Amino acid sequence: MLVIDHVSKIYRVGGQDFTALHDISLEVEEGAFMSFVGPSGSGKTTIINLMGGLDQPTSGEILFKGRSLAKMDRNELAAYRRENVGFIFQSYNLLPVYTVYENVLFPLLLNDEKESAVREKVRALVDQVGLSPEINKKPTELSGGQCQRVAIARALVKDPALVLADEPTANLDAENSYHILELMLKLNRDFKAAFIFCTHDEKVTKYVRREVRLEDGFVEWDKTKQPEGHFS
Amino acid sequence: MIRWLLKGIWRDKTRSLFPFLVISVGVTLLIYLLGFMEGIFAGMLDVSAHLDTGHLRFVNKPFYDEEHLIPLDRALGGQNETLEWLRKNSDPRIEWSPRIRWGAIMDVPDEKGETRSQTPVVGVAIEMLAADSPERIRLDLERSVIAGRVPSGPKEMLVGYKLAEALGLQLDDFVTLLGQNFDGGMATDNYKVVGFVRFGLAAMDKKMALIDLTDAQQTFYMEDMVTDFLGFLPREVGYKEYDVLKINIESHLALFKQNPPKNWAADDDPIILSILDQRNLRELAVKFELVDEVVVGVFALLMILVLWNAGLLNGVHRYGEMGLLLAMGETHKKLIGLMALEAFMIGLIGSAAGCLIGGGLVYYLQEVGVSTHGIFETSGLMMSDTIHARLSTYAFVFAVIPGVTASVVGNLIANLAIYQRSEANLFRELEAG
Repeated sequence: MLVIDHVSKIYRVGGQDFTALHDISLEVEEGAFMSFVGPSGSGKTTIINLMGGLDQPTSGEILFKGRSLAKMDRNELAAYRRENVGFIFQSYNLLPVYTVYENVLFPLLLNDEKESAVREKVRALVDQVGLSPEINKKPTELSGGQCQRVAIARALVKDPALVLADEPTANLDAENSYHILELMLKLNRDFKAAFIFCTHDEKVTKYVRREVRLEDGFVEWDKTKQPEGHFS
Repeated sequence: MIRWLLKGIWRDKTRSLFPFLVISVGVTLLIYLLGFMEGIFAGMLDVSAHLDTGHLRFVNKPFYDEEHLIPLDRALGGQNETLEWLRKNSDPRIEWSPRIRWGAIMDVPDEKGETRSQTPVVGVAIEMLAADSPERIRLDLERSVIAGRVPSGPKEMLVGYKLAEALGLQLDDFVTLLGQNFDGGMATDNYKVVGFVRFGLAAMDKKMALIDLTDAQQTFYMEDMVTDFLGFLPREVGYKEYDVLKINIESHLALFKQNPPKNWAADDDPIILSILDQRNLRELAVKFELVDEVVVGVFALLMILVLWNAGLLNGVHRYGEMGLLLAMGETHKKLIGLMALEAFMIGLIGSAAGCLIGGGLVYYLQEVGVSTHGIFETSGLMMSDTIHARLSTYAFVFAVIPGVTASVVGNLIANLAIYQRSEANLFRELEAG
């Protein structure tokens, strides 16, 4: 589904070139549940940004279902993100003035969908992440775990092929982290969307079926494994 | 999406309250200033119209061309027929009143009948004997007479109070008018001074006398003749409409001239004038409009600057939200469009509030007015002692346009920084924040 082909990314920082990624090549299959791990500065966030079409590689290319992201202009990249990519953030980044329902609804409004046409879909998804009782609450009235559930529902509501999660458990305690990972694993099976994490968190690595370790912008290893899980 | 944005504006007061207040206050002040300035100008026009020019004036051109000489021989005959035609062929809101401008020597005799004092006066003859006469109400004679009473019988006269002082006149004194009649012969007639009037204009208070129209027609041998038909319009008709009404009457006038009243002279050539055609008032109107535009421009600029600043603060406050929207697949253009739409809605709501407050304030000042306590009395300006603001569509339009524009432009300038930022940078900053 997603092919990263000899991708390098060089940033210019303080007048000096800094290579964040060195000639990375890998492939992400449909419905993957994988993580990029590695220390800070290893290139995890850079590769997530490149896969999300937020940034362009300095060399090499990224192909999504055969289409090169490098050849897309700004508007095409926005459309790619809007239609195919869901983001989950460490700090949730929910819109604080809107309710749970409205936060989940929002990506569909960006896709020019009518609220009346998608109301049931949004409610069902909120129910799937276990937040039906909180559907009319605002993020400030929710716990961290609940906020992250809203963020997951928001990422999945447009049925994306790809969900990119940057340190999704970093702000959660252990129990909430496991709950969230269980939920994401279940949704990965239900929605067939590929979940790609970048994380330091060992708890995440217990769940993923593939783990890619980055070190100084190089792939140190890329292994497929049986997920250990926690509750399952 | 509009409903979505409205919810955000309503719930997040930090993004909407300050711009809303700035726009509301700005629009309120603009409507107030424009209404007040229009009120000053319209007040000047009204005073001038009531005392001298009418809002519209139907006058014989030969008379008008030499009116400084008050050539009564060029007055217009067929008073009733002409008046009837004017009423039938002009906008029904116009009230037409016939008048005679006259000039004469006013002679004040002593007890022996010898001249005690004498001076040239200019006068106006109006229909004023009936208590409910529109002219009497228009010139507010009941209030303007500071001593004595308003004439109620024939050959009674009102005299400007300064003129009365200069001539040493007492109430109920008789004066003799010595002038030229319609035929070019000498006209003399005696009048009883029954009241002293204060017009509030030094020039008029020093030189003016008022008599009844029928008396003037007798004194100056002008049966069924007047020098002017003045048209008066209600306050709600703005001066910009006068020219339209004038053109409308002009369109019928040619036909009237082809079949004129039998008492018109062969060389009579009546014309219709708007107040702006007289006493250089059109130039004054242009200057007032220029001042209006400067005021609107300055206010719009100030609002843009303040709202630009507010937009920048708002942009910082919502940097994360914008990064998030871009990550979700919103394009830069659409994002800026959304922000502009939001600013437009805040501008619209703020302008609506400003219209309500400013409109209410101007309406109050229109009905009640502000007293100038006579500060214009000696200025020579034809200004009323009480300034009434004017509520006009024009003021609303000129206040709402900059109100909404300032909101959108201020926001767009502030959002230029976001437009130039790359998605990756916004995304990183979103994560950092």
